[in-house]
Amino acid sequence: MPEGDMAGVAQGAGNNSSDFVSNGVFCSSIRDIFVALGCMCIWLTCCAPGTRMLEDPAYSEVVRWGDQGDSFVVLENEKFTKTILPKHFKHSNFASFVRQLNKYDFHKVRHNEENGQSPYGASAWEFKHPEFRADRKDNLDNIRRKAPAPRKAQNAEEQFSVQNQQVVVLSETLAATQQQVQQLQESYYEIINANKIFVDEILHLQKVVKAQHQVHNELITHLTFNPGQNLLSDGTEAPLELRRARDILNGLSIEHVADRDLNRMSIAFHQAGGSPESVGSSSMMGPPGAAGVTPFLHDPLSDMRHLVYPVGQNIGIDPFAPEHMNNIPYNRPGGENGLPPTSDFNTTPSMAANTPPGLQSPSPWGSKKPVVLLVEDDRTCARIGSKFLSQQDCGVEVARDGLEAVNKVSARQQPYDLIFMDIVMPQLDGVSATAMIKDMQPNTPIIAMTSNINQQDLEMYFQWGMRDVLAKPFTKEGMIGKLRRHLNSLLRNPPAEGMMDPSAYPNGGSAQPPTPGPYSNQGMGMAPLPGSSSGPVTKFDTTPIQSPATSSSWHSPSQLPHPSPTIGQEHGGYLGAGSGAQMVLTPGGTQKPQFAGGMMPQMAGSQRMPLDGPPEKRQRLYGPPGNYNQ
Amino acid sequence: MASKDQTDDGHDRNMPDLGDAIDILTFSQILEMDDSEEDRKFSQSIVYDFFEQAGETFEKMDVALQARDLDELYRLGHFLKGSSATVGLTKVKDSCEKIQRYGKRENVDGSPEPDEELCLSRIKTTLKTVKSEYADAEKTLKDFFNSA
Repeated sequence: MPEGDMAGVAQGAGNNSSDFVSNGVFCSSIRDIFVALGCMCIWLTCCAPGTRMLEDPAYSEVVRWGDQGDSFVVLENEKFTKTILPKHFKHSNFASFVRQLNKYDFHKVRHNEENGQSPYGASAWEFKHPEFRADRKDNLDNIRRKAPAPRKAQNAEEQFSVQNQQVVVLSETLAATQQQVQQLQESYYEIINANKIFVDEILHLQKVVKAQHQVHNELITHLTFNPGQNLLSDGTEAPLELRRARDILNGLSIEHVADRDLNRMSIAFHQAGGSPESVGSSSMMGPPGAAGVTPFLHDPLSDMRHLVYPVGQNIGIDPFAPEHMNNIPYNRPGGENGLPPTSDFNTTPSMAANTPPGLQSPSPWGSKKPVVLLVEDDRTCARIGSKFLSQQDCGVEVARDGLEAVNKVSARQQPYDLIFMDIVMPQLDGVSATAMIKDMQPNTPIIAMTSNINQQDLEMYFQWGMRDVLAKPFTKEGMIGKLRRHLNSLLRNPPAEGMMDPSAYPNGGSAQPPTPGPYSNQGMGMAPLPGSSSGPVTKFDTTPIQSPATSSSWHSPSQLPHPSPTIGQEHGGYLGAGSGAQMVLTPGGTQKPQFAGGMMPQMAGSQRMPLDGPPEKRQRLYGPPGNYNQ
Repeated sequence: MASKDQTDDGHDRNMPDLGDAIDILTFSQILEMDDSEEDRKFSQSIVYDFFEQAGETFEKMDVALQARDLDELYRLGHFLKGSSATVGLTKVKDSCEKIQRYGKRENVDGSPEPDEELCLSRIKTTLKTVKSEYADAEKTLKDFFNSA
C-alpha cells in the first residue's frame, strides 16, 4: 500500500507529522499533477522531482517536508549532494542547487531565534516558498522562475547611461587637458621669446665688447708703433702703461666657452622663430640685409609642429569615429617619430613637407629638422654625403663649389644649420668660401671636409672660421658624429657636454681643437695676442703682411689652376646659372677676390675682406714636405 | 706616402668578397644605404656614376698630360683620389694620390721635385697603372652588381 507506506515514512521520519503529509492520495495526486503539467519550466525539472523526493522514504533521512508542510528541509547536505542531486538535477552541486532555488524564489529559512538552532539540526537547510505547501498542489503552477529578463534590460540601460556619462566625463577631461596644454604652450613660447631676447642681447653685448677690444688694440698699436705722433719718438720701446694695457687686453679671454652654446641657441631661435638676424648684428659683423629687431613672426598656435593636440577645434576630425583614430594628423604624445602616419590632411602640409618618406629610424631631431649645406665638387662624395645626412632626417642641399655655396648662403633667408665644406674645389676653394660665408652667417658652423689634414692645414681651417674637420674619405659614423656634435641643440635628446666624440679631431687628437689660443699666434709678424682666438674675433689682428714672397703661395698664378675657361667648362654640367661670373683670386699680395659681374655687392662693398689674412697661412697649405696626409 | 688608414679587411660577415682592389668596409657603407639586398639601385647608381666620373677624369688626365699641365694633373689627381676613396677603390686612390703629388712637383714622400719632366714621366707611368687598377675594380664591381 503506497499510501500507508508514505504515511508511515512521513510519520517515522518527521516528528509530529501533519496529516496531509501522510495523505497518500494527496501525495500521489501531486505526482499526477506534475506528470500532467510536464516539464513546463526549469523549476519543474528541478523541483518537481523534489516534491516527490520529499515523500520518498528512501530519502527521508536526507530530505523531507518541513514540520509545517510549508517548506522542505535538506537534512543531510552531503548525502543530498551525492545521491539525490545527480539523479534529478543537472546542477549536481549543492550551491548551484541553492542558486536555482533562489531563482525560483525559494529562500533559505533562517532560525535567528533559539540561538540560531534549526529544529532540524545544525546542518539542515530549510527552504521556503510562499506557494510551496504540502497541501496546495495547485499552487505549484505559481512557482516560477523569476524572470531575469527585465532586470537585465534595466542593467543594460543603466550601463548605457553610465557609458554615456563616461564619454561626457572623458570629453570634459580631454577639453581640460587640451586647455592646459595650450596654456603650457603659451607660457613655453613666452619663455622662448624671453630667452631669445636674452641671448640676442648677450651676443650683442659681446660684439660691442669685441669692438671695444679691437679699438683698444688699434689705439695701443697706434701709440706704440707710430712715431709720427710724437708720442714715442724712438718707436722701439713702448711705455710701461701701454704694455700693461696690452697685457690686460691680451689676458682677456674674449671667446668664452659658453659662446658656442649661445651661438647655437641663437641659431636655433632664429631658425625656429624666423627672425633672420639678431639684434646685435651691428658693428662687427655687418651682415647683409636687415639689422635690428625683426618682429617676432612666430605664431605658436599656427605652428602645427609644436601642437601636441589641436586646440579649440578638432580640425574636421571626430575623435570618436574609429576610422579616424589612426589618422589623427597631429603628434600624439609618446609617438616615436613625432610625425603623422599620413599626410592626406590639408591642414598639415608643413609637417609633411619636411619628412622624407621611408625613414628607417626615428628622427633624432627635436621639433626642428636641420638643413645642411654640403659643398662638394665630387658628385660621388656629394651623393653619398647627402644620403648619409638625409638618412638622419636632415634637409640637405648640395653646392658644387665654393662659389655656388656662397651664392646659396647669400640667397637663403634662414641660415643653414651646418655646412660641410670641401676644401679643394674649382672656382672658389672651401677656405675662401668659408671666410665669405662667415661674414654673412657668422653663427653657422662650417666643417672642413678634406683629406688634407696635417697640422698646418687644420690650423688654417680653424683660422678661417671653420669649426671642425671631417677627414676624407668620410664614414657615415664620422659624418653623423659631426652632425650631432655641432647640432647638439637641435637634437631631441642632446647629450651632456663633455660627452662629445673624442674622434672629432683627426690625427688622433694631435690636432688642436678650435678653442681659443694657438692659432692667432702662428706666424704673426707682429704683436701677438695670446688671449684671443680663432674665428671672427681675431679678424682685426690678422693684419696682412704683404710680402712679395706670397706670390708663390697657394693661389699664386704659377700654381693655381687658373680659373680658366677649361675649369668652367669642365664643371659647367652641374654649376648653377650664376656661376658664369668668375671669382678670381688675384695674384700677389692683397689676395682680394675680384667679383666679376657685380656679384654679392654687399660683400664687395665690405671694407673688411676676410681674405686679407696672413698669406703665410695659405702658403703653408702645401708647405713643409713630409706631412702630407699622414 | 699612401694613406693606409683603410684596413683591408675583406672578410666581413655577409659581405661579398671583392678582392683587394676594393675596400670592403668603405664599399659596404654604400651598400648599406640600399633599401634591401635585392634592391641595389642606390649603390649601383652611385658606383656607375663614379665609373662615368672616373672615365671622364682619365680622359682629362690624358689631355692634361698631353698639354704637360701639371697643375691640372694635380687637380685631377686630387679629384679622383677623393671619389675613388669614397667608393673604396683603395689602389686607385693611392695611385691618384701619387699623381696629385707629381702634379704638385713633389716626390712620393712629399719632398719637392723641381724636375717637371720627371714629374710628367712619373705621371705617365702612374696613369697607366691606375687605369689598369681601375679597370680591375670596375670589372669586379660590375660583376658584383650584375650577379646581385
